[in-house]
Amino acid sequence: MANAAVAKALVSDMAKPTSNFFSLLELPLDFTVDLALLSHNYREAAKAVHPDRYASASDQDKRLAVQRSAELNQAYETLKSTTRRALYLLNLQEPMDEEATVQDTEFFMQQIQWREELEDLSDSEDIAALEVFKKRLRQLRGELDIEFAAVWQDGSQRELAERLVRRMQFLDKVLYEVRQLEERLDD
Amino acid sequence: MKKNTMALVQIVEPNTPVDKSQPRLAVGIDLGTTNSLVASVRNDVPVPLADTQGRFALASAVRYLKDNTVSVGRDAKQCASCDPYNCILSVKRLIGRGLEDVQQLGEQLPYRFQDGDSQMPLIETVQGCKSPVEVSAEILKVLRQRAEQVLGGDLFGAVITVPAYFDDAQRQATKDAARLAGINVLRLLNEPTAAAVAYGLDKQAEGVIVVYDLGGGTFDVSILRLTRGVFEVLATGGDSALGGDDFDHAIANWIVQQAGVSSDLEPGEQRRLMRLACDVKEALSSAESTLVQYKAWQAELSRADFEQLITPLVARSLKACRRALRDSDVELEEIAAVVMVGGSTRVPYVREQVAHMFAREPLADIDPDKVVALGAALQADVLAGNQADSDNLLLLDVIPLSLGLETMGDLVEKIVPRNTTIPVTRTQDFTTARDGQTAIALHIVQGERELASASRSLARFELRGIPPMVAGAAKVRVSFQVDADGLLSVTATETRSGVEARVEIKPSYGLSEDAISRMLEESIENAEQDRKARGLREQQVNAQRLLETVRAALQSDGNLLNEQERALIDEQLEKLEQAQQGDEIGAIARQIQQLNAATHEFASRRMDATVKRAFAGRQLEEV
Repeated sequence: MANAAVAKALVSDMAKPTSNFFSLLELPLDFTVDLALLSHNYREAAKAVHPDRYASASDQDKRLAVQRSAELNQAYETLKSTTRRALYLLNLQEPMDEEATVQDTEFFMQQIQWREELEDLSDSEDIAALEVFKKRLRQLRGELDIEFAAVWQDGSQRELAERLVRRMQFLDKVLYEVRQLEERLDD
Repeated sequence: MKKNTMALVQIVEPNTPVDKSQPRLAVGIDLGTTNSLVASVRNDVPVPLADTQGRFALASAVRYLKDNTVSVGRDAKQCASCDPYNCILSVKRLIGRGLEDVQQLGEQLPYRFQDGDSQMPLIETVQGCKSPVEVSAEILKVLRQRAEQVLGGDLFGAVITVPAYFDDAQRQATKDAARLAGINVLRLLNEPTAAAVAYGLDKQAEGVIVVYDLGGGTFDVSILRLTRGVFEVLATGGDSALGGDDFDHAIANWIVQQAGVSSDLEPGEQRRLMRLACDVKEALSSAESTLVQYKAWQAELSRADFEQLITPLVARSLKACRRALRDSDVELEEIAAVVMVGGSTRVPYVREQVAHMFAREPLADIDPDKVVALGAALQADVLAGNQADSDNLLLLDVIPLSLGLETMGDLVEKIVPRNTTIPVTRTQDFTTARDGQTAIALHIVQGERELASASRSLARFELRGIPPMVAGAAKVRVSFQVDADGLLSVTATETRSGVEARVEIKPSYGLSEDAISRMLEESIENAEQDRKARGLREQQVNAQRLLETVRAALQSDGNLLNEQERALIDEQLEKLEQAQQGDEIGAIARQIQQLNAATHEFASRRMDATVKRAFAGRQLEEV
């Protein structure tokens, strides 16, 4: 099995180029992203690595294409959403402990209030009011993006940046529940 | 414009056939509930292929006869009433499902079922028990033979279409059926995506399009964004048990009620009634009213009455449309076109309702019965490498139903949410619940429900050999991978101990790998020696193909390797070439593996280089 050993050694001494989702999609490392350029670059890269391009290639190339495409799709999905993008940027700086319990009293009170509103809407089945609630949440969500953009690069404001990401995640969750409620009311 | 001084590197298309003068024979197959079709690209245009009598549609009906022959198509369909137990219609409604699901479809199926070893329904026939996979394979065999006759040669491969809303088990079963029919499956393609391809390429369409696909037994809706040959599915939705057959059932129930006959009909009679209901439905697509005669009873059925019967069914399809719209984050105003696909969209009420919902007249200018097969043929042609510029078509599809794992208390932990673009890989870590636990059972489910017991069970497997640790100390990493066919594979490893446990997946509703091999072997009536000879030939062909691909790659991208790396690959090339000339299957297989290992990093670098070129090409374009 000398050959296999040599082949293995060959693979290991070729360092993989260090890359992140931004460089993979040829975008500057920033929280603000040109979405049209992101989609355009994603499509160009997909044309190069999609398994359809390797449908009659060797099994090795096929497997590689599936891996690369999955990685590319993950990159696109991460950068498309501002919540995931923000988290990704912070993790590039220094991994964020997502399990940690953090005090955010002001926001906690807000959370309780939203939960109650959502429950009331669920009981009243008031579609118009649900629409208003959704619009309000979306606007707040947009404001978080602006706040995050201003602080994420400043290492001394790391704590605030993390708090903003947690708020984003929570708001996304409430918005998801709004969508589920919409679906239920559509029955 | 300043010309870039760097010479453009020639790109070798990975899919290009070795001999360009001879295109590979590739077809698209629409394996439908009621009818099936095969199409191919000829002189750059996708065309359906006809049988010797000039007919395009092959009725998806299979009859098993006493003399051990099998009849497929119209003849089989015509015997549905006289020989109901041996005549299988609409088998697509059974494929990849368990007996329980089939019974829940709420229809009387005239077959005699037997429980299979994998919860799969087996149909008792005069030729023994047949699984839905085998029945579907009979239809595919006929289409394959037709294609080989018309095109004059062996098929290189086929793209087979499936409803977008098919789950993993249904997709896997369809692929197995194709394998049994001796077809090399280039890709499983979602039906609405196929229709979008045929439509989009024909009309040079751009922007957001909606495909509303109501077939004989399945309903799909897909929302896609078309951008210069890239078809990106934004969201898909549907109901894999809703179709024109249900319209027929609604009419049949009405007849039974009005005529005051017992609804418990014997199978032959039931088939006759369904046939009548289908005729009534078709008549009402053009007439305002039609006379229905059943035995001694007769009555008028108006179109308005018929519409009332199908209102709840059409409403179900519209609900799926609204959900897909929400999932896609597309506003109604952004939609450029709504395309109608499937025979059931001929019903005027369906068109009206779709027009109303999307506030625009839907398009049906490509034959709704053929558009799926035509789109599949276009994709097959690209995948076979017959298109000079394959940059013109790329399909980015999604997974229709969320994938998850059952966790404690019957709860489902979603791992890949619905409408995620495929291919996708996701990993999730789990841990042990008890001290000293050495195995963990994993139950993979698909669907949107919160409870595992209410979801579709895809597979169960056990991860064994975890070293005993305190509860919560083990870290089991479960990895889900969905490939471009929408098919799932799952692996699990215990990472903390470094022990890699083996994982076996037993499909809940499909054929096991053993069963497929056995059936394939049974279908090949050759002696042992023949089989060996064929095995050797196959391996030699594989080796030859690999040698050619690697050499082509070295020629175009050899600059990505240093001398030492190049020498290693050259050495392996030579060894494979030698082995290939011999007659030892094992030696060839070993050398194929060696060459693959030696070129692994090279393949990876080439793919990186292809991406770089894709961007470089764009930058030049935009200078």
